[in-house]
Amino acid sequence: MLAKPDALAEEIDASIARHGASRHSLIPVLQDVQQRFHSISDLAMQTIAQRMGIPPVEVYGVVSFYPLLNTRRRERFLIRLCRTVGCDMAGKDAVAQQLRNDLGVDFGETTPDGRFALEWVNCMGLCDKGPALSVNERYYTRVTAAQVHDILAACRENEPLWGDTDAQAHADLPIRGDMSMASLDNATGLRAALAMSPQQVRDAVCGCGLRGRGGAGFPTGTKWNLAAQSPGTRKYFICNAAEGEPGAFKDRATLIQWPDVVFEGMTIAGYAMGADEGILYLRGKYASLRERLEECLQRRRKAGLLGGNILGSGFSFDIHIHLGSGAYVCGEETALIESLEGKRGESRNRPPFPISQGLRGMPTVVNNVETCAWTTAIFAKGAAWFADLGTDQSHGPKLFSVSGDVARPGVYEFPLGVRIREVLRVAGGGEAKAVAVAGASGPCVPAKDFDRALCYEDLGTNGAVIVFGPHRDMLHVAENFLEFFADESCGQCAPCRLGSAALLHGVRTLQKGACSSRQLQDLYALGETMRLTCKCGLGQACPTVFQSIVTHFGDEILGRNPAAR
Amino acid sequence: MPAHQDPAGGTRPEHAHQGKDANQPRVTLTIDHLETSVPAGTTILEAARRVGIRIPTLCHHDDLCAAGACRLCVVEVEGQRVLQTACTFPVTQPLTVRTSTPRIRRARRHILELLLAEHHGECTRCFKNMTCELQALAREYGVEQPRFELAAFPVPPRDTSSWSIVRDMGKCVMCRRCVRACAEMQGVGALGIVGRGYGTRVATYLDKPLGSVACINCGQCVNVCPTGALRAKDATDEVWAAIDNPRKHVVIQTAPSPRAAMGEEFGMEPGLSFTWELNTALRRCGFDRVFDTNFAADLTIMEEGAELLQRLHENLVQGVHERPLPQFTSCSPGWIKYIEHHYPEYLPHVSSCKSPQQMFGALIKTWYAKRSDIDPADIVSVSLMPCSAKKFECNRPEMRDSGHKDVDFALTTREVARMIREAGMRLPDLPPSGFDEPFGDASGSGIIFGATGGVMESALRTVIEAVTGTRVETLFEHADIIPVRGFEECRLAEFRIPDRVGPVPPLLGRIAGDWEWLAGVTLRVGVTHGTANARKVMENIKAGGEFSTCHFIEFMACPGGCLGGGGQPTPANVRVREARARAIYAEDTAYGEAGKARKSLENPAVLRVYEEFLTDGPCGHRSHELLHTHYTWRGTFLDPDA
Repeated sequence: MLAKPDALAEEIDASIARHGASRHSLIPVLQDVQQRFHSISDLAMQTIAQRMGIPPVEVYGVVSFYPLLNTRRRERFLIRLCRTVGCDMAGKDAVAQQLRNDLGVDFGETTPDGRFALEWVNCMGLCDKGPALSVNERYYTRVTAAQVHDILAACRENEPLWGDTDAQAHADLPIRGDMSMASLDNATGLRAALAMSPQQVRDAVCGCGLRGRGGAGFPTGTKWNLAAQSPGTRKYFICNAAEGEPGAFKDRATLIQWPDVVFEGMTIAGYAMGADEGILYLRGKYASLRERLEECLQRRRKAGLLGGNILGSGFSFDIHIHLGSGAYVCGEETALIESLEGKRGESRNRPPFPISQGLRGMPTVVNNVETCAWTTAIFAKGAAWFADLGTDQSHGPKLFSVSGDVARPGVYEFPLGVRIREVLRVAGGGEAKAVAVAGASGPCVPAKDFDRALCYEDLGTNGAVIVFGPHRDMLHVAENFLEFFADESCGQCAPCRLGSAALLHGVRTLQKGACSSRQLQDLYALGETMRLTCKCGLGQACPTVFQSIVTHFGDEILGRNPAAR
Repeated sequence: MPAHQDPAGGTRPEHAHQGKDANQPRVTLTIDHLETSVPAGTTILEAARRVGIRIPTLCHHDDLCAAGACRLCVVEVEGQRVLQTACTFPVTQPLTVRTSTPRIRRARRHILELLLAEHHGECTRCFKNMTCELQALAREYGVEQPRFELAAFPVPPRDTSSWSIVRDMGKCVMCRRCVRACAEMQGVGALGIVGRGYGTRVATYLDKPLGSVACINCGQCVNVCPTGALRAKDATDEVWAAIDNPRKHVVIQTAPSPRAAMGEEFGMEPGLSFTWELNTALRRCGFDRVFDTNFAADLTIMEEGAELLQRLHENLVQGVHERPLPQFTSCSPGWIKYIEHHYPEYLPHVSSCKSPQQMFGALIKTWYAKRSDIDPADIVSVSLMPCSAKKFECNRPEMRDSGHKDVDFALTTREVARMIREAGMRLPDLPPSGFDEPFGDASGSGIIFGATGGVMESALRTVIEAVTGTRVETLFEHADIIPVRGFEECRLAEFRIPDRVGPVPPLLGRIAGDWEWLAGVTLRVGVTHGTANARKVMENIKAGGEFSTCHFIEFMACPGGCLGGGGQPTPANVRVREARARAIYAEDTAYGEAGKARKSLENPAVLRVYEEFLTDGPCGHRSHELLHTHYTWRGTFLDPDA
């Protein structure tokens, strides 16, 4: 559908009226335009640029950065197939080949009749039920090559599919294990927290040892203290639901099952650090969850748990949802803030840190979904309950997304410090030869180390556990992860943008059996440079998987003879 | 240019923190075992420079905000888990820093190898050979055989669509200096960062050719590019061809700013003028005549000053507002294209005077051709300019009032330096020589056109003297009008015209019968330089702010005025530009000391032109035909794809 100029201008003006004319509204306005016209045209970009008083190349820069924003115009059906590790292991190659065969075009191309476009997409957060693909906004999971025909036929008969979302794909995900969050009453934690002073709340969180559940493990109470002490006319609390780590889907599960627990934790955090505005930065690929989350927020406002004078405490706080647009790096807190300001999600120079100069230059705390949820639990169940779980330096329970070669993929709750072997036993992955303990960002741990613990003092983790069975080619795993990084790098700093591409090239040289030992050493050392010099956690983490595979699976990856395979 | 220049972009010891020093608390830090103290907030890079430690940089540039993109300036900061970029890390508490350890050196070499793996360089055939910052760093870190390979991708074709700037993006190293210069320093936003991951690149809107987007050709991107990815479009081959053609009469006009900067191309300190040596060099290159653009600057002042008086009379006395106040200057072609794109509704404010380059061009192919008995078709008119936008300007279709292209080729300072080197000369070694007749030596007013505020000062010298009938030296010591000088972003000044005015000089008789209506009037003038500042002034005018009450405003597209133009030697920064300004003002002073004219209306050649050729005076019919122009309403909207 082509946008008529006046309809387009109307939509843009209406969207700007809703979101505001400042640059900070750029991404919501682009999303509105895309929602209505299914693509962002040249005319749309120039009109928005003019209305916001920014150069058109800035709008183009933003549109070309976010995978979920697109400038394609012609095709009715945009088919995106996930190429990331979970779906790859589940057989995405066969589905891809069948799509090519049936449509007669390759990825990145459009059929001659302009009806179908084929694209790769990085992780959609459906790692527990891959291969996953989306047609426009409808998701299909556990797709087989044989189903490709049916999916395409459905498109042809049932067009148009635009606007048709399938929340079920993302919603169907139970949490197994201890289920600590299930027993939380509505508002018990919030009442307990509001009965304390903000300083007491921060002290309690410091005291129980809660550390960031997004992976970095920064002490949550310390972060809140620093933000509370930073001067600023406004302060912001952001809940990071940008979950984009390959193999991670625990935040999706939490938001589906216990949105109240998350929002309550955000409210407590806002109270503790002195923020009156909370933002849930929701991953673009979880757009289908938005409606329920909005309903939940509305319920909470009606119940006096959000808005002015919460529970009669005098504390006012509200939460709104900002939808991301598909960039993995926006899970990095400064890139996330840039994205909230309507820019490309490029990480910032630090210092200054967000706790002193974050969103709009104001003190800002960014915490993971799970960190928010456990905050609620800490005040509902008591700090002692939390502190007693886990190890010396890693307190409390942790959610793990377990996928790959396991009998029962899903989200599990264990206390921090759980051994890899135990996770494998519960999820049914006894045969594994390796486990990635922090998605693409952590090491691949070989079977000999399965007695190591998942906690900050041993193997730090963001909870994305990917299990590799005995038949898996670890070089292929490295290739898949590096493809991911080379595409998801924000492209800003040289060691990340080029280093990820150089490591990927190195893996392909290994696959050809053409990599000398010297070259491999150089690549390993390059990984060290990336870890030391990249601007943000994405680039610093990028070489980890590669290095661990070189260290532990040297016999498997060296001296290959492709002709003999 | 010296081969061993500092790849950091100059050896500026301090400017960014000069103002802060006095009132900032100081912090002690140790860099490579040297203890020092700096004002809080100083970057590690700056602190290291102060104690003579050089940290390599690529994306850093003194004129631009910090990016932290190339990561070459990484250092070890005690207590930090990973290496930190010296260009972004502020010293706010005592630190211990190491700038050269094994892992730092290895990291820097790795990064250089990665950059070279992507760089489609062809060093021996690159115009940046020996002055390329990437090349210098590679040599410094002993990078010979890059150990890393990247997936092959097609080399982007060179974009030669612009009259002024050529983009060769295969050589881009994504330092983003050009984008910061374009977006932040100049506020233009023709270039941006697009794409993602490995495919991230510097691009124009929708990757359109540079010549078709809202680029103002200022060339500041070229000035800051560390490699050969950006350059001004070179016209030296065409000029050599004309010189070598015996049928062609090749003349060159030289502008004041290149003369004050050309020495830098030959290894001299910034701030030395080589005006007279340059004349010799150009003659030896084979130019038939060497003229002084300052003659045309004086002519511009006569025309623009007359236009200002006309506008004042129309608006203040006659109540006619077709040509509104404030009048905007028109000599900076970057500024002209900027206002055509971004504030076209204000074009009636812009003086209709052509720039000095174009006025001169029009006169050379008319008056000069006739009195020298040369067919204008055989004249090749060349200009030496500090500016890349002059290349666009001389190719504007409006600029053919002589019946030919008024100016055939505009060369930059860098291009002419190369011609001089190519002809086997070293500028500082040459004997001096004067300019050719019939234009001769100009007045000091023309010279100061090169610095921000110079056009305003020149115009005021002439207008005030014309109106008061009093020598301007009696009102301002040495005729130096200090309030309009300086490097502040936007300046305002007021001059009260005395109650006793003089008679109208005969040359300006067409404007008004007397000056009584100006008696006691306070003239308000504004000066700004750098396009980002021009935008501030325009927004101030739009909002009815103080600049909207001005009578006359000077706009220059480049920081510092023409002396900071996009065709000038690199590297440059505030310190270099200040030195060039000193050279320019010194030359003006020298004119006064030598008893030469310092006001345009005293320039004998200008008076002769009005006597012999433009006989109906400034802003008369003839001068309107040849010396004035009109502008194009461009806007920023490009024709969208259907």
